[in-house]
Amino acid sequence: MKTPPRFVTWLLKTFGHPDTSEEVQGDLLELYDHWVQTVGQRSADWRYSLSALKLLRPLAKSKTANEYPPPFLLGPSMLRSYVKIAWRNIKHARAFALINGFGLALGIACALLVFLVILHETSYDQQQTKKDRIYRVETVNASDGGPHPGTYTELGVVLLNEAPEFEAVVPIMNKWQRGLTIPVTGEIFKEKVVFVGSGISSLLDYQWVAGNAKTALSQPNQVVITESYANKFFGTANVIGKTIRYDSKQDLQVSGVLKDHNQTTNFPFDVLVSFPTLKRVEPDYDSHGWSGFGDNFQLYTLLKPGFTPEQLTKRFHAIQVKYQKDPKTIENQHFALNPLSDIHYSFNFSGRQANPKLLRMLALIGAFVLLIACINFINLTTAQALKRAKEIGVRKAVGSNRLSLIYQFLTEAGLITFLAALLAVILAWITLPSIATMMGLPLTIADLFTWKVGAFLVGLASITSLLAGTYPAFRLSGMPPIWALKNNKLPSGERSVTLRQGLVVVQFTISMILISSALLINRQLSFFQNADLGFNKAAIITIGLPSNEPEKLQTLRAQLKESPQIKDVSFSFNSASAESNWMQGMQYRKGATPIEIKTQMKMGDSHYLDTYGIQLLAGEKLKDTDTSSAAFKVLANEIFLSRMGISRPEAAVGQKIYYGDGNQFATIVGVVKNFHVNSLHQKIDPTLMQVVPNNFYQAGIKLQSEAPTVEAIKTALATIEKSWKATFPNQLFGYDFLDKTLADAYKNETRTAQLIETSTLIAILIACLGLFGLAAFTAEQRTKEIGVRKVLGASVISIITLMTKDFLKLVLIAMVIASPIAWYAISQWLQNFEFKTEISWWVFALTGLLMAVIAMLTVSYQSTRAALMNPVKSLRSE
Amino acid sequence: MKRAFLGEFEEVVLLTVAILDEGAYGVNITQEIEQKTGRAVGFSTVHTTLQRLEEKGFLSSQMGGATAERGGRRKRFFTVTSAGRRALQEVKQVRTELWNALPPQTLQLMGG
Repeated sequence: MKTPPRFVTWLLKTFGHPDTSEEVQGDLLELYDHWVQTVGQRSADWRYSLSALKLLRPLAKSKTANEYPPPFLLGPSMLRSYVKIAWRNIKHARAFALINGFGLALGIACALLVFLVILHETSYDQQQTKKDRIYRVETVNASDGGPHPGTYTELGVVLLNEAPEFEAVVPIMNKWQRGLTIPVTGEIFKEKVVFVGSGISSLLDYQWVAGNAKTALSQPNQVVITESYANKFFGTANVIGKTIRYDSKQDLQVSGVLKDHNQTTNFPFDVLVSFPTLKRVEPDYDSHGWSGFGDNFQLYTLLKPGFTPEQLTKRFHAIQVKYQKDPKTIENQHFALNPLSDIHYSFNFSGRQANPKLLRMLALIGAFVLLIACINFINLTTAQALKRAKEIGVRKAVGSNRLSLIYQFLTEAGLITFLAALLAVILAWITLPSIATMMGLPLTIADLFTWKVGAFLVGLASITSLLAGTYPAFRLSGMPPIWALKNNKLPSGERSVTLRQGLVVVQFTISMILISSALLINRQLSFFQNADLGFNKAAIITIGLPSNEPEKLQTLRAQLKESPQIKDVSFSFNSASAESNWMQGMQYRKGATPIEIKTQMKMGDSHYLDTYGIQLLAGEKLKDTDTSSAAFKVLANEIFLSRMGISRPEAAVGQKIYYGDGNQFATIVGVVKNFHVNSLHQKIDPTLMQVVPNNFYQAGIKLQSEAPTVEAIKTALATIEKSWKATFPNQLFGYDFLDKTLADAYKNETRTAQLIETSTLIAILIACLGLFGLAAFTAEQRTKEIGVRKVLGASVISIITLMTKDFLKLVLIAMVIASPIAWYAISQWLQNFEFKTEISWWVFALTGLLMAVIAMLTVSYQSTRAALMNPVKSLRSE
Repeated sequence: MKRAFLGEFEEVVLLTVAILDEGAYGVNITQEIEQKTGRAVGFSTVHTTLQRLEEKGFLSSQMGGATAERGGRRKRFFTVTSAGRRALQEVKQVRTELWNALPPQTLQLMGG
């Protein structure tokens, strides 16, 4: 027998008039047979299709009323029923609900904290009304890659005249720590001070409590402070006309008071001094310089509406041609405008710089942990639902349709998620302060209770309940009721077991990636800590020098040397390894073409080598008298030698190095062994050391003992402070330990490590919770099987092995998947460092072993309990 | 008395149902019309007309018993109601009266 086109039949069935659907289908089938016999199949198909199409009534509704209308599945009474049943089910399986809920709560809390962090980091200066028009002028060198946040001081002067596209150009000179004296009380404060152009008030949204926005920063010796600083300095907000002494040299008049700035700003200025003052306090300051630039002088501009930064490329080029002149520099260098929205991700004056990579990693980890928690939920719910097969069967038999069952399961998921979300908020509340400290973020509890967080939480909870609840809901509601009632278990159970195992593998994979990452990052960190730097960083205290007049330094050294705890003192520009360096181009003329060497200059006195334990390979040390510019003497390191093309240290002694205009030169008198002049992120630069007392800003003090006791440090510090105060009266004393300063260079990495460790712990905890629940379930399922095995003579050990083996297999699979992923991720991360550890295979083996042990411990409780059970008990009960 | 509105095709369908008596359903009504009138009628047209006649109250219908034929689907059998019968008679009467009023020579001229 022929059948009519199936699609048309389907169309007719679906879109025909419901009242006549049956007989019309029947009639057409009968006619079709008739047509096939009389006019052939082709015409029959055609006629059938045509008739069917004419009979479609897609919008028709049945006119006959149903005697028992099904309730609206989302009506209030049904909703109440769902919640009631869900609550009963949760109460019934308390342990499962607890494991589920706690795991989810941990996951949600993690996601919530990540959200808070990302929200904070992306909210900087978003409140500025002119944010779309504010740009920073940055200097880009073709030779060294990334743009520099600072620029030439002269640019700030000429830009307004040369480029009419700018509405305002505001120079900002930042001084991180400056002494401020209040003459009335004699108190000294060490504060961050900025010198700003008066245009700042048209750039940023400042609210003036007192003073005139236009004139408050236009004259020399004017200072504007924030309200809280007014209270801090003077104890009152009414401070107009009062005096603040800058660095004990220059008196400034308070000309305005600002409302306190937002926390999320890249311009957290509390003491703003008018820009013309800069020349008075620092007579050396070159306000028309084209010779060099630093990060602490930045130029902010306000573009007129309608202009884009690209339009100014030509202008900048014209300015370079007109003022900078040197064609070589113009070729190598250009200026770029960086929008305000990007400034938080590069060096800025807030002292906080967001790392987009770290933020992305954070988001990823948050998502991972949440995923693990959701997997737990899915696994436990489907496992537990096997027990509910009978309930589902009965529900279906008495007329519950699939949709209402789906709603029922989703409600259960939603209820648990809701409770978990509440718990998560409490968890976040408790842990937020410590997280904020760990990440170095100014986050407070108040940040947790905002509408944004609320909206995020509601969204997250909805997504989580859908993610965690959808699979169980569809899976369980879809089974035929007769099966459930007859066999008291789900059909095709095999398939759901494999899926569950797959999900467990995903969980373990994520956990293992995190564990091996944590291990490897820690190895890199301990490599940083223990690396041979080429100098001795132990037991060195560094203090700043407010001035470097030779007589003062002489007295300070003499006083310090009297203390028995102090072994040596060296005055220098910076420590042997420091974050801010002095780079200079040097030239070695040997053959026809001179060799250009970009060199790091270390300036220190004759005690430098001894204090920092730097080894001299050849020649002699510098003397404090080697300062005559006519015959500069320098020490070079091995890298410098290799750039010169000299292999034997002795051969380098006496060579001349040219610099400056090409006629000045310095003579190498000694060669030192390589030591790390930068953090281990970077290579060792070619380095020259010389004695330049003008540039001594720091004293390094080596203590007598390599590992001094707390008391010894205390006495030493007391002595140092006394001598220092005697040498520099009216200044604020501050000190640092060199090893701590060096460790600070790896702050980012330490933070990453802590972050990964914490999330690893949480991920493992959640995964174990899930595993525990799953093991409990398996043990319960196999009670009878174990009973039979025991009766037939199986030993306890063999049964435990049987139960544990399945889970260990999963760990093994996860290890195979996780190892290459972790290896790839970490090798990417290690690219950041010039000096790094190797990724050894045993890390992954260790991770696998660790995970196996953890999994075994989790599972063993349940399997042991199952194995020890009396078979009589388990076999008797039906 | 209310005038019954019957279209030409409606009249044909109604008559056919009456002819087929007890066993009238979609398929044989269609086939009967095709046979008797010799014109090609679509099933959908017949079905729609049957529905309309039922709505007007000239036909009533009930489902037949289940059979193994035609995919196990039941048939809907139609019977003419008394209103339907009256309507048929009325139409016939109007026609007869009109025929009677026609002068015989006119018919002859037309038939030419």
